[in-house]
Amino acid sequence: MGRYIERSEHLARYTKVQYASSMDSPLAQSKEFALESILSLGGMYQSYLGKYLELTEDDVIHYVTIDDSNAFSVQANIGYMRENARGARDRISSELWEAINVFYHDINSYSAARLQYEGMHHFSHKVEVNSAVIKGYIDNTLIRNEAWILISLGIHLERAIQVALIMLNKVYDIAKLDAANLGGPVESYQWAIMLKSAESFDMYKRYYLKKKSSHSELDFLLFNKNFPKSLTYNLRKVQQNIQKIAFHDQKGSDSIEFKAGKIASQFQYLTIGEVEESIAGFLNETVANLNNLAAILEQKYLCY
Amino acid sequence: MSAGTVQPNFTEVFSNYEFNPQFLDEVFNDKDNVNGHYRKVLDHFAQMSAQDFKELNDHAKLSFFNQGVTFAVYSDKAKGVERIFPYDLFPRIIPADEWARLEEGLIQRNLAINHFIHDIYNKKQILRDGRVPAELIFSSKNYTKAMLGIKPVGRIYNHISGTDLIKHSDGQYYVLEDNVRVPSGISYVLANREAMKRTLFSLFRKFKVRTVQDYSQQLLATMQSVAPEGAETPTCVLLTPGLYNSAYFEHAFLAMDMGIHLVEGRDLFVDKNFLFMKTIYGPRRVDVVYRRLDDDFLDPLMFNPDSVLGVAGLMAAYREGNVTLLNAPGTGAADDKAVYSYVPDMIKYYLNEEPILNNVHTYRCEIDSDYKYVMEHMAELVIKPVDESGGYGILVGSKATQEQISSFKDVIRQNRRKYIAQPIMALTRHPTFIENENQFEPRHIDLRTYTLLGKDKQFVLKGGLSRVALTKGSLIVNSSQGGGSKDTWVLAE
Repeated sequence: MGRYIERSEHLARYTKVQYASSMDSPLAQSKEFALESILSLGGMYQSYLGKYLELTEDDVIHYVTIDDSNAFSVQANIGYMRENARGARDRISSELWEAINVFYHDINSYSAARLQYEGMHHFSHKVEVNSAVIKGYIDNTLIRNEAWILISLGIHLERAIQVALIMLNKVYDIAKLDAANLGGPVESYQWAIMLKSAESFDMYKRYYLKKKSSHSELDFLLFNKNFPKSLTYNLRKVQQNIQKIAFHDQKGSDSIEFKAGKIASQFQYLTIGEVEESIAGFLNETVANLNNLAAILEQKYLCY
Repeated sequence: MSAGTVQPNFTEVFSNYEFNPQFLDEVFNDKDNVNGHYRKVLDHFAQMSAQDFKELNDHAKLSFFNQGVTFAVYSDKAKGVERIFPYDLFPRIIPADEWARLEEGLIQRNLAINHFIHDIYNKKQILRDGRVPAELIFSSKNYTKAMLGIKPVGRIYNHISGTDLIKHSDGQYYVLEDNVRVPSGISYVLANREAMKRTLFSLFRKFKVRTVQDYSQQLLATMQSVAPEGAETPTCVLLTPGLYNSAYFEHAFLAMDMGIHLVEGRDLFVDKNFLFMKTIYGPRRVDVVYRRLDDDFLDPLMFNPDSVLGVAGLMAAYREGNVTLLNAPGTGAADDKAVYSYVPDMIKYYLNEEPILNNVHTYRCEIDSDYKYVMEHMAELVIKPVDESGGYGILVGSKATQEQISSFKDVIRQNRRKYIAQPIMALTRHPTFIENENQFEPRHIDLRTYTLLGKDKQFVLKGGLSRVALTKGSLIVNSSQGGGSKDTWVLAE
């Protein structure tokens, strides 16, 4: 449940920020560039091309948000979240359930015409606000038992994955730029999109003020210990949550507790200087490790 | 009715209201007289326009939709369409004195049924004494040999009973059927009250209505009262067939409201005749199970071997007295519609009392003289299969064509034990807001009541589910047959 809410929120926000950026950029950034980036975040580029021949604004937005044939759309993720909540209906508060249910019905009944009329911005805003409301109920109305721990674990794990994916996406986008644009306003514009997609732009500016260094944007999202969107912050939360529900008879190097601790500790003692040279490789490896952790979690706690 | 009558104040939503002396109307005695306890409702409604009603109606529907009190309608589209169980704005009101009598009758009736179930799985005294024909019980497909000799805690079998009542044109309540297997619908009662408070609170507060909110706590107390001996703080669970069951909402809701675990068969296992629940902290013993699963699926070792919903070994643990099941398996032998006709005899036999609630006269096709009468008078009777529920397989003689009647005669002839017939009861009518017409029209209603029996403990929910046959003229109120429901107010004084 935590994973789905976080995934739909990031996908919606990234789509919005990317899409808006393509309409308002310092140097004419091609629309295709932005659309391709949107599809690749959700891993839907191939499936999209299986349905449509070319990248058009309306088709991409529709596909990512509410297309019935896309099992990974924002709408589909919200449907999975609600199905999880329905399954755990007895363990969560009525207030949380009703917030999720109302949100689900609203998004589920979204028509292509309404999306067109109200626009992507409106849709994304709705998803972000409801996600905040739902997480507010999670934080404020649930007892801290294993149900809450699993939801919270899902939120932090998925947030780490999504932020890593957004960073990876932007690293690739920047690599595609002409050499002439590197180091200039076009590149810093892409970094700003990355931060905005992770709701981190304002805090980033405050934190660094004037002491910006090269790759400080990556540093902020990877290694800032006090910022709730950074990887290291979320991995620490993942580790703490897993410790609370660990199977006590399983402590070895194969245990989920060990694996989570290993990734979290790695982040704790790394610096941006050590990874900036091969940042894409590092991010890819991180995403793979996190997905692996997620798969073990699912197998240990949710399949039986 | 004691409350007297007053002149109604008709507004546009009542202007076409049909008065038919053939049926008793719960609200209007006739065009000029309204039952006293409904006066404040009509006064309240008189201040509202048709548009107001439409808005309130939409508001009430939204209340159900948002709470997720919906059932899925499956279509070929990937997305499920969800519908709400239709809810009517006009509450049904039952005066205090009328209710007191019903409550007494319900406890009496369900206690007698409990004695009966105990008897047929133990000494079978009532059968030996010839008060109920033995072959009627032994031929019931719900008679469960696995229950023979088992003595559940407190000797309670039908912990939860859903008794369906109707009010006939003579103004008397009659029991239409007993449901002592897995009666459902209670979540609608609670959701109806919630919707009423969200939409018509200004009306609700003008009455002293007895609460229905205590049901879950009463149910939990009932479960705890029948926990196996030695369980100091018994662990109670609700066993559901799962997320895709049509009543899943109710299962999840009740578990949440009682604060107990909602479990599926795969969450439980039996070890050395004790029942355990799997948790991430290790196995935890379970003492009481409110199962919302039919007998057939409970235990693949004892009943349907293909069931993946139940728990292997559950019946053995039950037999050992290590776990209590609500309701006990095998209770279905007592809510068979042919056995129904003997409930007044059971009350006299076990309790030595006169039955408080009336039975509808029942013809059992198995008996030659009854069979002959049914064949000759089918147009005046309702024919029902004895062991179905949900309003399936019923023939209402007065509404059927000649062909339907003659083909149904063949069906009965092939299995006479399976059918009973009853005179067509003139269910009372109640003003019901009809969305498409934007006005109130009379519709037939019944009342599903809920009785809890625990160890030395009896409770009747103050109210129940007033089910409405939404199709004009229809007498069948089941939700699976296009029924709706009303909030039901039992007045405190």
